[in-house]
Amino acid sequence: MRRRRFLQAAGGSSALALAGCLVQDEGNTSTDTTVEDTTTSDGGTSTTSETTDDTTSETTTEAEELSGTLTVATYESFLNAPSESYDAPGAFVKERFEAAHPDATVEFTVPQNGLNEYIQRRQQGASVDADVYVGLNVDDLVRIDENLDDGQRLFRELDAGRMDHADRVRDDLDFGDPKGRALAYDTGYISLVYDENDVEAPPTLDALTQPEYEGALLAQNAQGTDTGQAFLLWTIAQKGADGYLDYWRDLLDNDVRVLGSWWDSYSAYLDEQRPMVVSYSTDQVFANRDDQDMSKHQVGFPNDQGYANPEGMGIVRGSDNADLGYAFMDFVLRGDVQSTIALANVQFPAVEDEYVDVPAEFSDYAKRPPEPVALGYDELSGNLTGWLEEWSRLVAGN
Amino acid sequence: MDAHALTVGVAGTAVVLLLVLYVPVGVVFAEAFTTDGVASLSRFGDVFTDAFYFGDLAAVIERPLAFDAHVGALAGFIGGFGVRVAALGPVPYPMPVLPTVRTGLFGFTAWQALLSTAASVVVGLPAAYVLANFEFRGRKTLRSITILPFVLPGILVATGFYAAFGQSGLLNDVLGVVGVGQSLLETNPLFVVILAHAFYNAPLIARVTTGAWEAVDSRMVETARALGASRRRAFRDVVLPQLLPAILAGSLLTFIFTFMTFPIVLALGGLQLATVEVWVYNAASNLQVPEAATLAVVETAVSLALTYAYLRYEAGGSGFSSAATDVDRERFLPDLASVDAKRLAVLAYGVLAAVLFVMPLLALVVESLTDGSGFTLRYYAFLLERQTEGAAFQTKPLPAIWNSLVFAVATLAVAVPMGVVVSVVSSREGRGRTLVDALTMLPVAVSGIVFGVGLLTGLVFGIDLPGPYTLRVIGPVAVVAAHAVAAYPFVVRNVKPQLAGVDRALVESARALGATRVRALLDVQLPLVWPGVLAGAAFAFAISMGEFDSTVILATQSDTATMPVAVERYLGRTLGPAMAMGTVLLVVTAASFVAVDRLGGYVGEIQR
Repeated sequence: MRRRRFLQAAGGSSALALAGCLVQDEGNTSTDTTVEDTTTSDGGTSTTSETTDDTTSETTTEAEELSGTLTVATYESFLNAPSESYDAPGAFVKERFEAAHPDATVEFTVPQNGLNEYIQRRQQGASVDADVYVGLNVDDLVRIDENLDDGQRLFRELDAGRMDHADRVRDDLDFGDPKGRALAYDTGYISLVYDENDVEAPPTLDALTQPEYEGALLAQNAQGTDTGQAFLLWTIAQKGADGYLDYWRDLLDNDVRVLGSWWDSYSAYLDEQRPMVVSYSTDQVFANRDDQDMSKHQVGFPNDQGYANPEGMGIVRGSDNADLGYAFMDFVLRGDVQSTIALANVQFPAVEDEYVDVPAEFSDYAKRPPEPVALGYDELSGNLTGWLEEWSRLVAGN
Repeated sequence: MDAHALTVGVAGTAVVLLLVLYVPVGVVFAEAFTTDGVASLSRFGDVFTDAFYFGDLAAVIERPLAFDAHVGALAGFIGGFGVRVAALGPVPYPMPVLPTVRTGLFGFTAWQALLSTAASVVVGLPAAYVLANFEFRGRKTLRSITILPFVLPGILVATGFYAAFGQSGLLNDVLGVVGVGQSLLETNPLFVVILAHAFYNAPLIARVTTGAWEAVDSRMVETARALGASRRRAFRDVVLPQLLPAILAGSLLTFIFTFMTFPIVLALGGLQLATVEVWVYNAASNLQVPEAATLAVVETAVSLALTYAYLRYEAGGSGFSSAATDVDRERFLPDLASVDAKRLAVLAYGVLAAVLFVMPLLALVVESLTDGSGFTLRYYAFLLERQTEGAAFQTKPLPAIWNSLVFAVATLAVAVPMGVVVSVVSSREGRGRTLVDALTMLPVAVSGIVFGVGLLTGLVFGIDLPGPYTLRVIGPVAVVAAHAVAAYPFVVRNVKPQLAGVDRALVESARALGATRVRALLDVQLPLVWPGVLAGAAFAFAISMGEFDSTVILATQSDTATMPVAVERYLGRTLGPAMAMGTVLLVVTAASFVAVDRLGGYVGEIQR
């Protein structure tokens, strides 16, 4: 008698406990391969695209009846990271977009593993609950294509005709993606930041292997950091896929320190352990905000180059809110939004200078390299993973 | 109900472990054993014969029967030993010459783990001695907060070390007054990494050993002395055998932790000091799950093998303790006349410990209060501002603090019974008992990255069940379950040795007098092993407070963030806000440790 009651109680409570965890499949729309990817417009609720140019006055009087909830997936610091007087851009973007489109709501989500989570979800047939992804780099696109086949594609091909401002984006920020999936919204330039009291600006990358720069450089791990990977690709762009390992051997002999994250190396730099660090060319903007000594935050462009790292946005394939997504991306390319994002992210706007007004506290201190270097999709595809592995093994050198 | 309570406990534990540990990890590990859909060990073959992973040993494994080549290599190795004459000024002295051996990634990882363990033991044991044998003001508080370094996320430790020991750090400021100036971090990077490991793990060893020391029955020592043993003899023959299991348990845990270390090595040492876990991380972030799984399986195999070896040793012990007594402590400084060599040594150790442990924490707090232009409160102002004016999707500090505390208490409530149940059940006689015991250490022995991948692709994406249903476990329940699974091995490791030390006759008498098994456990055994339970509970609390990897994956909404997650999210291009949140983490954690310890001690008092 007692046993039966015990079993009832235990069984009942465990069923109750697990009941909350059961989710009914609604038939995965994300693996639907019949979603139209063509450039013809599907009968949406938006009015036909405006052709009037509006360089200075961003009109909000378009009778856009866009409604619905747009789920924007992005990276953590877009939403949370604090900067001096500018909080992360996410809140601003949401507020302004919802003001411009009163019937629409923006919801943010941050996949903890970044894009990898969505790739894995696609692989396993789990749902990807996002409409727009903000924060794509070229290597992300390469990684997507290495792991997903055509039937499982993650992003749709963008139709530039559905966005007014798409043609304002600078030409040198093109990702080179044959599938045209990402549109740049800001860019950074990776360069060297050095202390001019301790060391001279290195004129070339080769100079870094010379005795006067022995033990002077702090770099980052190319796997998992933007700056580290950018620096590695910069050396590959200059030395070629056959010569870069020799260059790195010389650099390692010259006592370069490769730390794990940008944070670690920058902390070491601020601590004056070494006089030079691979970092962003907008470094002086931060230094200015934090009242640091400018002579310790000089930006150097060896060979007059810097590596361009554009960040882009795309629309998830299979999303029901494509129209809202296009409107959002178009919104992000507006002058005032570009300016806010640039200040908050401390990156350069993606649109041409004539379309955006950046305050002096930024433009005085942010440096653009005379000759930006970048490896596009074609060069990276099929090669990037191999390069990263080769390089990692060389550095770990066991 | 009483009679079945143990069965319920076992069933509940099994369900939690299955769902949150074995299935996710098993699914990922399975990928290591399949190549192109066919079960095979070829991936392991690739790893073992790769000189990058196993150095010179790989050549041996690749062609095990090529004896002439191997004998030649061995001869070369032995011939590599030698002595050369170096000179210190005009004085010559012999310097040993060691042969160069390619250790491979695994070899290097094991080597630095060994050094780190040795360093942690050397730093941690004197602390245990002081805490167990001396009485001084603030002893209880000090004892509670020794576990603080264990909780810190990697980024805070790295920053703390830079801020404390760096070129322009606190230590140099202090030493500069005396006229010495050399950055500690400019020395060997391996040395710094080992120091950081000691920072993390010496408290673990100290805590575990203190718990064991306090559980020593002082009457046994008195008996030994009364029978004629000298102080030293009594210590060596009575106390030390009871301490050794605890010290070894702590060392084993430290070795496993440092064997699988990841963020600290990259942050302070760099890629040149990469460990196996770094490669697991690289493979996982390139979505090369089979490669990551292969390396993780080898790591886990090594860790579990060591655990098994230790447990065979531990099983050989026996105990006769029958009652926990108050520990006999001498007063540390009753008056100035009592200062002798022993106390001076303790004071010297205290200074060194303060430098190693307190300075990074202090430097962290100082960092959060300064910016380029001196003292400022603006990072704390940011915290307040975020709390009051933040948007719904932004991480706010107060919910993070609350979540941390709630999750930690819930973890305590789940992990301690789990650990006690497992300790009791695996204490029974039976074949394969040691093997089962080794398996309970799986959460500690599994790479955190693989665990995260397993949780993500298993619990978060959902496990497909027959029919249209998917089982997804996310949110607070999942977080608590993951924390409990990560914490219960510590409870087991603290409780089991002491449980084994309790005289079986006591339990048998209780049962003979009519108590059920559970009654005997609760009324007789637990009070006797209460210091062990407390120590385990403190660890469970600490693990939960400091847990980051699985929390970040399972707590998908901003309102289930914990303090370490908040620290990471506040890392913008400036360090300040993250440091401020880190200081809050330190203060809250310290306060809660003290509370947990006092509460536990109070409950222990009542029980007696």
